[in-house]
Amino acid sequence: MWVDECDSFAELCRGYLPYYLLIFLPLFIIISPANPVTASHEFPAFRMSQYDLHGVPHGCRSASISLEARSLAGWTTSRHCIVVRALDLNPETFQSIRQKAGALIVVLPEKINKLTQNEIQHIMSLEESMIHGPETPIPVYFVQWNSELQIILQDIEHSFIADDKTRSAAEALFNSISASGYQVVVSTSQPIIKNDIKVATLQGKLTGTGAEDKLPTIALVAHYDSNGVAPELSFGAESNASGLAMLLELARLFSVLYSIGRSRPRHNLIFIVTGAGKLNFQGSKKWLEDQLDGLEGSVIQDASYVICLDSVSSSNDLYVHVSKPPKESSPGGLIYKELKAVSDSFGYSNIEGVHKKINLADESLAWEHERYSIRRLPAATLSTLKSHEDPLRNTILDIVQEVQVDRLYKHTSVVAEALARHIYNISYSKIFAESLSISKDSLNMWMNFLASQPRAGSLLSDKQNILVNTLKEAMQKYLGDVKVTLHTPDKRDPEFVFYDVTKAMLNVYSVKPAVFDLFLTIAIIAYLGAVYLIVHNFSHIYNFAIRISSKSKAF
Amino acid sequence: MTLYHFGNCLALVYVPYYLTYKYSGLSEYGAFWKCIQAGGIYIFTQLVKMLILATFFPTADNIGYKGFDIFGEFFKSTIDIADLIGIYIVLNGIPGKGHAKVLTAGIGWAGAEVVLTRFLLLWIGARGAEFDWKYMQKSLESNIYLVQHITTATLVWLWSRHDLKQSLVPVVVSMLLLTVYRPLISDFLIMSFTIGPWSALFIKAIAATIMGTLTLHIYAALAYTIGIF
Repeated sequence: MWVDECDSFAELCRGYLPYYLLIFLPLFIIISPANPVTASHEFPAFRMSQYDLHGVPHGCRSASISLEARSLAGWTTSRHCIVVRALDLNPETFQSIRQKAGALIVVLPEKINKLTQNEIQHIMSLEESMIHGPETPIPVYFVQWNSELQIILQDIEHSFIADDKTRSAAEALFNSISASGYQVVVSTSQPIIKNDIKVATLQGKLTGTGAEDKLPTIALVAHYDSNGVAPELSFGAESNASGLAMLLELARLFSVLYSIGRSRPRHNLIFIVTGAGKLNFQGSKKWLEDQLDGLEGSVIQDASYVICLDSVSSSNDLYVHVSKPPKESSPGGLIYKELKAVSDSFGYSNIEGVHKKINLADESLAWEHERYSIRRLPAATLSTLKSHEDPLRNTILDIVQEVQVDRLYKHTSVVAEALARHIYNISYSKIFAESLSISKDSLNMWMNFLASQPRAGSLLSDKQNILVNTLKEAMQKYLGDVKVTLHTPDKRDPEFVFYDVTKAMLNVYSVKPAVFDLFLTIAIIAYLGAVYLIVHNFSHIYNFAIRISSKSKAF
Repeated sequence: MTLYHFGNCLALVYVPYYLTYKYSGLSEYGAFWKCIQAGGIYIFTQLVKMLILATFFPTADNIGYKGFDIFGEFFKSTIDIADLIGIYIVLNGIPGKGHAKVLTAGIGWAGAEVVLTRFLLLWIGARGAEFDWKYMQKSLESNIYLVQHITTATLVWLWSRHDLKQSLVPVVVSMLLLTVYRPLISDFLIMSFTIGPWSALFIKAIAATIMGTLTLHIYAALAYTIGIF
């Protein structure tokens, strides 16, 4: 019987099959179901930052995951990957996870811009402990909330509870068969050191009337990078998109004043946009080294005052941070006095001086002006934050808020006015008014542009960075002598090291335990046995049907 | 999930076909080649159907459209009459008599369908790392289709007989129409009552059983009178 089949099959192969195949093989492919099989849940995931500063490793040291997902209450070994909401995780549990678990996936809150004050504090303290704590050997990823993740979170919270002892063996067995587990897979390479790091620092200049070298110079400085627990999520609206927006707006305003011969003051203004500000202000440091230790004379050498702008839109108070209280008659003292006078007359931006000595024993400096003060340049930082330890400077929650631009506008008008009064040495009229006034649209545009992209130092360190080029073009529009200085850390003993793999694709597969497959096989065999019995005994059913129909005919 | 799971699904899909072929006595007739022919005609019929569908019912470009267009779906289902014609051609091409003829057509037709629509789906889906009950459901569904297609083949055969009792002709024709519009009806019911996949499968199984029993009843009577045993 089999031989017959084989014969006919062989004949088929010899005769028609090749032609049939030629026509129908493409058809097979077309007819086969087109609905794409959704293999798994896929989410973009953002890895926790990883960098070395002064040879000390920071952040998360590995990247790839292939582990079983567990909840915060259900994990036990290093073979588990913990999936948890950011608000359920606290610094203490993070410490134990860091040491004993296999991996960590943190799901960010659903509405990240509508958190209560407590929730913001919670996440910021968590971030602080993650960034500033010791290095984390396990991979840590951050994922934005979505409804599929919500279901996964609920599933793993309900299916695995660590203390199984209370339940009976049968229940545990049933649970192990019916439970739907999840496998978390992130397949990336081991993070490696980024090689050609180029940290760009931009400078531009407005030259006053008279002999350029003899005029007093005021420098305005802002760094453009941001920091957060995950590089790809640090949008840094407050720190330091606000400072940079203010700097660019000041550049625009003063460029108008400097462009008209009659109103051109007897002061030089230089604008410096520094990189790697969140890494102990490396951009400023290198730029200063280049300028001061270089052979040619420098623009900043005789600067009468350096004003750094850092986080200038979070409150109505504007603090002037200094390392040494300026003398009354020095430019620093005069500018401080002007700021106070202008804020009094405008009725907003309470100016307050904060004096903090430089602590060289700290791992990193507090404010950017300290870099300049170390090099004996009189400097101050303007900020709306009172303390340099404010977690707002290093958080992924730092995104654009609606009221922020209003405050930035007010502070910018005060700073611009005070600076103009100081430069022209007048103290009554309002200089920036009507046609030449601070533009809220422009501030808004810069804020939104800068805060729309993650600006962590490691992301901006490539050679031809789009953001750096945009900044350069903007500065060229208003300022003269725009230069970009690229700084590469030393090859042998680098001060900071960046690593790649900042984001990855997170795959979550729903899986069943192996014993489930075994049970399924048994069930299928039973079912097939039933089918066999039906088919085998079909003649009885058929005879029964005949009997019924013949009976019904008889009636 | 794994290759093992794929094997599970494959067994669930194909073993009932094999059992039916083996133990219904078809293998004794050497009907294998006829089954393949039936499959070939199945493919040809599907091709014709696709051409007609593509020509007269171009799919809407907006994919996000979720509504249920009964009128359009009705016309699309009408094209499925081509399946009946295809089965009729298959039946004509089989010289055997009675049981073997009907069974060969049914199994060949259903077999071609199951090979073409299920194998790739399972190969892609059930072998992946992800577990989904969907593949188990599809496998069970294909078992129901086996019963359905044998029923349909039987109905077509009954319809083609001239010695069928006149009183039964409307019954057979209405059942054939029901066969054609069954996907439409089941889709509509699932949509409007939001039936879960398992209950939908169960309802389909019940429907197939009822149709099968009725057809068997009519067939048995006719076979008895014309003397096929």
